[in-house]
Order: sequence, then C-alpha cells, then structure tokens
Amino acid sequence: MTEVFQKLKKIVTEKYISDSIYVRHAYSRNVNPVLQGVPDIVIRPKDAQEISEILKIANEENIPIVPRGGGCCEWGGSIVENDTGIILDMKRMNNVINLDQDNLVVTVGAGIAWGALNNYLSQFGLYTGCLGPGSGLTASVGGGISHHSVGAGGCAKYGACTNQLVSLEVVLPTGDIIETGSQANKFSKVPFNRFGNGPDLAGLFCGDNGIYGVKTQVSLKVFPRPPFAAYKTFVLPRKDTEAASQIMMEIRRKGIDVFDTIFIPQLVVVLGAQEGMFPLWKQLKRKRGILFYSIEANSEIELNERVKQLDEIFLSKKTEELGPEISDGNFAKWQYENPWHLYHNLWGIQPACEPFTAECFTPLNTLPELVADTMAWENECKEDMQKIGELTGNRIVMSSAGPVALIDGNNVEYTVGFNTSHSYHEGTTHEIIDELNLKLWKSLLIRTYKQGVQYYMCGSVPSKLMVEIGAYSQEYNNLLKSIKKTLDPNFILSRGKFNLTGEME
Amino acid sequence: MPELENLKKVWDNVFSCMGCGECGFAVNPNAEIYLTCPVKEALGDAAFEIHFSRGRMSVLKSILKGAIPLSKELAEFVYQCTECGNCTETCHQCDENVVLKISEWIDHNNVWNALRKDLVQAGHAPLEKHATLIELMNNPEMKNPYGEEKSKKYAWADGFSNIKEKGEFAIFGGCTMPLRQAETLKNMMKIFQAAGKDIAMSKDEWCCGSIAMRIGDYKAVEEEVKHNIELYKSMGAKTVFSPCAGCYRTLKKDYPEIIGEELPFEVKHITEVLAEMIKNNEIAFKEAEAETLKVTYHDPCHLGRHMDLYEEPREIISKIPGIELVEMKRNRKNAWCCGAGGGVKSQFPELSLDISKERVREAIETGARVFLTSCPFCVGNLRDAVNQMSSEVQDKIEVVDIIDFIALKI
Repeated sequence: MTEVFQKLKKIVTEKYISDSIYVRHAYSRNVNPVLQGVPDIVIRPKDAQEISEILKIANEENIPIVPRGGGCCEWGGSIVENDTGIILDMKRMNNVINLDQDNLVVTVGAGIAWGALNNYLSQFGLYTGCLGPGSGLTASVGGGISHHSVGAGGCAKYGACTNQLVSLEVVLPTGDIIETGSQANKFSKVPFNRFGNGPDLAGLFCGDNGIYGVKTQVSLKVFPRPPFAAYKTFVLPRKDTEAASQIMMEIRRKGIDVFDTIFIPQLVVVLGAQEGMFPLWKQLKRKRGILFYSIEANSEIELNERVKQLDEIFLSKKTEELGPEISDGNFAKWQYENPWHLYHNLWGIQPACEPFTAECFTPLNTLPELVADTMAWENECKEDMQKIGELTGNRIVMSSAGPVALIDGNNVEYTVGFNTSHSYHEGTTHEIIDELNLKLWKSLLIRTYKQGVQYYMCGSVPSKLMVEIGAYSQEYNNLLKSIKKTLDPNFILSRGKFNLTGEME
Repeated sequence: MPELENLKKVWDNVFSCMGCGECGFAVNPNAEIYLTCPVKEALGDAAFEIHFSRGRMSVLKSILKGAIPLSKELAEFVYQCTECGNCTETCHQCDENVVLKISEWIDHNNVWNALRKDLVQAGHAPLEKHATLIELMNNPEMKNPYGEEKSKKYAWADGFSNIKEKGEFAIFGGCTMPLRQAETLKNMMKIFQAAGKDIAMSKDEWCCGSIAMRIGDYKAVEEEVKHNIELYKSMGAKTVFSPCAGCYRTLKKDYPEIIGEELPFEVKHITEVLAEMIKNNEIAFKEAEAETLKVTYHDPCHLGRHMDLYEEPREIISKIPGIELVEMKRNRKNAWCCGAGGGVKSQFPELSLDISKERVREAIETGARVFLTSCPFCVGNLRDAVNQMSSEVQDKIEVVDIIDFIALKI
C-alpha cells in the first residue's frame, strides 16, 4: 500500500491524502450503529481529472475505491468493505460552478451540500425545488443523485432530487470522463436538458449508489421560490394511517401541487410528547397521528384558493386543524422554516442509540397494509429487541414510525426503522448486540422488500439483500452485471454493492 | 490510573453522535448557522474529517472499543481544536417547540476535555509548547504562563488610590491583561474612579490555571486552585470579578467542579459589573458626537457559548450615546471563534490567525469601524490578525476591548 500511496500522492499532493490510522477511522462510519469499514487511504481530489488518474491507479493495483460525499448514508453506502480500499472524499469539490439565471440551471461540484447550495441560491430568489435528503445540511448533491434522495422538503411538488437533474459530469471507473444530456453534444455551451442526444445515460447514474461512476459535476434545474406560502397541521382521526393515505390520494386526484404533505403516525406523536421531543404537541388532548401540508403560490389569491381546496379535503376526513403558530402545534410551519431537520428529531431518543432504517418508496394505497405488516414484524421480533434492552437498559423504539412524506406521483417515502443501542455500553462491547441489530435490520429489510417497496438508498447491506432474496429477475440482474463489467471490468468502484462481482447466470 | 479513565465516563456522549455531520458542513440561515467548525474552515481543502467533531467522535468510538490506541499523533490532531463549542450549538439545533433529544446527551467540550485528560494521563500530551506554558505557570517565581516575574503582573496598579488590599469587591486580573494589555486595566480603574468605586486586589494572585485545564492537565493546577480560593477568602471577597473571559469561565465553572462545592464568593465578568453600574447610573457618558459610530461585537467563546453570557455586553453598548451596534452575521450562540482558545494560539499560531482573519473579515462586512470584544485573548488574536492583514483592512477596523471603549466615552 505504501507504493500506491506514493503514486496517489503525486496526483493530489501530500496535503490531500492520508493514511493516518486516525484519519482512516474518521472515515470509517456512516449513520449506522454497526457497519464500519476502515479504509487504507483517504484522498481528497479537486476535480474530475485527478479522479480519473486516481481510478486508473486503482485499476492498475486492483484496489477498491468508494466515493464519499456527506457521508450520512444510513446503509453503509460510503464506507469501504472488509477494511480495504480507498475513500474518495468528494467534499473538496463543493463550489458553485455556474448559475445560468436565464435558463434556470445551476452547475455545482458534486461535493456541495444541499443546504449550502440553497443558501447560495436564496440570494437570487431561487431554490432547488426538492431540497434533497433530510440530511441535506451535510449530504452532498452528488450523493443525493446517487440515491434519488428525498426528505428535506419540496418532494411532494418536485419529486426526488433526480427529477431536477439536467446533466452530469461523470468519471467512469476506468478513468474516462463523460458528460450526459445536452452536454453529450460537445458543441453545447451550457447544460439545458437531460434528455436527447441518444439514450438517457444520466439515468444510469441516478440512484446507482456509486457503482457505475463518480459524479463530479451536477447541473440541476432551479426554480424561483414563490413569494407566498401557507402551512397547516391537522390531528387525524383514530385510524390515522388510512386517513392520511386517503387524504394524500385525494390531494393527488385534485391535482393540487402541495410543496409537502407529511404524515407523522400516532406512535411518534405519543412518544414525542412523552419524551419531551415535541413540546408543541404537549397540550394536545387527543394524541393521534398528525398530517400537515405546506403549499406555495405566486399570489395571495392563488394561495387562498389552494388552501381552501386543501382544507376541504383534510376536514372532510374528520381531522382537527391546529392553530397557526408553531406553539399551537403547527408543525408544518416549523418544517417549512426548518427543512433538513424533521428526521433528526426522531433519532437519538435515548443516549447512545442510532437508527436502523429501511426508508423506501411505496404506492400511496399500500401504506396502511405496509404499516400493519411492520407492526406485525415488530411483535415477532420482541424477544431479540428485549435482549438488547436487557444489556443496555434502553428500549428499542419506533419500528413502524414514519414520518411518511408524499413524493412525486402517487408515492410516499415510508421511513421505517428502529432506534437501537450501540454494542458498546459502559466500558463493555457486547458483540451480541451487533449481531442482533444486524439480524433485526436484515429481517426488516427483507420483510419490507417482500411487500414490493422500492429502496432508493441501497448501501452495502440492502443492495446485496436485494440480490440474495431473488428480488431481481435473473435477466435484470444479468443486465446490472453486464453494465458493471463493461464500465468497471476490475470492479474497482464501490466493490461489493449489489453482489455484482460474480459471473452472469 | 485506569486507561481511558475519563473517556469512559463520557462514553454515552461519544456513542450518541450519529454522524450526521452538521458539525462540519451545516449552512442553515433559518438557524443563523453559516458553517460550524472554525478549524475545519481555516484549514480549508486540507481539512480531513478528523479535524471536526464527527470525525473525532468516530475515532473515539474506535478507541473506546479498543481498536486503536491513544498516541502523540492523535494529540497533534486533537489540540488543533479551539474548543469553541460551536459544534455543540449546531448539533443541538432546538427550540422551545421542537427538541432534539441529542441535545441532552452530547456535550462536545466535555468529550474533548475527557480526551485531553486521558492524553495527558497516558503521557501523549501536553504538546511541546503547551508543556512550556504549564511549566512557567507552575514556576514559583512567575506563576503565569508568560514567564514574567510575579511582580510585573501588578505594575499597572501603581498610583490607583482606590485599589485596596482587602475588600468585598475584588479583582482577579488574570495574566494576559496585566502582562500584555495593561492599559485596559488602567482604563477600567478610570471608570471605577469616576464612579467612586473601590476594588480589592492581591499581589499574590496566581494564574487561574485555565491554560493547563484546557490542555487536560488538571494535576498541574491543583495548587493554583487551592491557593486562589484561599487568597480571596482571606481578602474578605464576596464578589470576585475578572476582566478576562478565560479566567471568568475557569473560576465560575471549573473551580467549583474541581473542589466539588460552591466557591465562598460570587464570580462575575467585568461586563456584568459594568452593566450593573450603568443600570445604577454610576457611569456618566459624554454626549454623543455628531456622527453615529458603528461598532460590532464579538462574543468570546469563554463568555458566550461556555457561560451563556451574551446580553450584558450588548446592554452596555446600547447605553453609550452616539453608538450603533451592528451585529455580525454570526453572533451570540453562532459566533465564529477568534481562534485563540483551547491552546491553539500557542501550539498552532498560524492556524489560530487564519481563524481570526475570517472573523475580522466578517466584522468588516458589517461596516463597523470599531470591533469590540471582552476577552484579552480575543483582543490579542484579533489584533494580531488585523496587523497581518492588508493596510486597507487596518484602515477599516480597529479591535478594541469594551473596557477601553467605555473609558473613551466617559
């Protein structure tokens, strides 16, 4: 590895590469209490050219390489496997390269965070529409594109962040650099359209979880932020999941372009009030599920008309509207003013706990059944959960929790998962906790997979499970493999994900 | 001494960090957060994740699990942190309506403090320059980290008839101000004299020990703590005030923790004293000049984030005629560190200045002509930064201790 280190150092210079044991351990985790992969080297390239050279060396030396943006993947997406390989830290490439205000397209280095980008755009009255993932204050634009991210806000109106994609600059695993969409035409001066010039090759890299190429530049559509907004929060009737699902379907049927509609199930509301997470709901007489909406408009008249339509839909389902201020319980207002934070509030309910999630997309009408099935899963797993609780004194909570966000089409993002303890507790490492956590997590992933959901973050573990349980058809799996083999003959990039290294069947 | 004795006590803080990374990357105008870690930003492209909280927490998880050891190499990374506490503020983004539970589990500075203690106990710290400072602080002829003779600390007080040997209202002058910014203390006395206020001062005050505590060497300060507490008791002090934010934090927060009980006197910062005097009409300001003067105020970390003292300096400024306070984009809980704390100024002076320059640029953006603060460390480092910057910068802004500013206006 010393020789490789020297070769790589020549590319980026000494300042931007490290094999210090401490630097390596600093890059060995994502948001996950169990998965860890300690890289041999961490390297911080400045541009596509340097990445190209790095990848060529990785190919020569047969060393796996994993791109890492914000590093907040919950599924081990940006750590190395088996403590071997190179972490490509993309955060140096975090600049705004061009804002085309005429054509409303921004081009950025793939390492820029969604929060930083939207802060930049706000001075021009613009935003990215979908504000990226819930972790977008850290998560990078490149990472968002690699995962079809949603969660920070705006995804009911704009869809997943890949919907805004115009073009990509990608370094292929062999080191070749390409541009997609309008930029496939080398005579094109500015990125303006994702489609055309042949097949939509950008699509190959959208949601690829970093297996097909390293995204280095991303051009996104941007939108003028409408000057008027309204946000309201409602308490749902007893059968909260069914009511939430019906209301969201009705919103879609009426074609109302809500910015966000998010369902917070009763379990979270009750627990949140109990644990002091949501003081704004402390005074609620009936602690039931919550559903809220936010909507934007270009005029007050337009806004009022849509609010009227939305209120009719909500109130027709026996919901109860909360007051207009955040302190009245209007979580919609809080979320609109604080994007990127909803999910954080559901984490760390107890000390030294982290979530194992199975966030997925699912059609709206499947939500009640899916939630019921997750609750059944939780009951079946009580024994293992109790074992962890006995060792740590923490209880595992929120297996079927949510929140559930309306995304584009008639889909929702279903945030399912459980908060659990680390294996380290008061000076002792209980390896059994890691084993139980992984067992529980995999079991939950498989259970939800089999309900037909779609995972957008696939990371290392879920992407392999998808293959192992035979969710992909043989033909589809072969296609994935054959594309991988063509683009990455040595399986250098994100090696291990989707089990792509084997022969085709 | 058991290995990792102190880190093991804060294990739950370490493992409560989920790795969201906002301590490194957050830009959230709604919460007035414009990046978080001054060290990471000053290092720029050369910063790896070990240089900010998330990366260090990940390393500590590995250390606690026994995968990697403490070492001098680690100490070199760890002591680049100014312990400004901004990562904690970003981590705890809460309000009265929505509470992030993590805010109840994680206090980053507690973790860094434990880590530094363990590094010292394991013999990997203090680093070279820190060791020298601690040695000087403990030298019986000096008792200050500047290596100056004891008596020099009190030279500034000559000629002030309102300084008594004993009394209920006593000053803890610290080391930096008497030895490096003595004019400020003279100005403070000018304000007290005008108000007819006497103070008590001992000529046997030892360094408060802040420098050693921030390094994690608590053994080195045992004598200092005992001596200083006994000293002020013997002077009959009921209130001990300090013009130094570092001493104030150390006396008010660290001393009671070390001795395990409340101090026999109240501790105040000079800005609390001055704000009270203004409230009691004990300070008569000159009339406003024709043109309003714009000033801005820098919250020292030891005063603000560490001690939650934000409003007193602003109350003072608001009462000075003809002055307009223009806040910097990052103020109060989100204030950008000056770069001097945590031992960074002594061990990594260039890094410290780079951080400081960023704060100077931010102050200039406000259009203020005067850059006020209330900590001699901040004053020193911000002035050093201005002096290293262009003559254009030097023409635009002047760093002034709030005490000196008041003295000019009475």
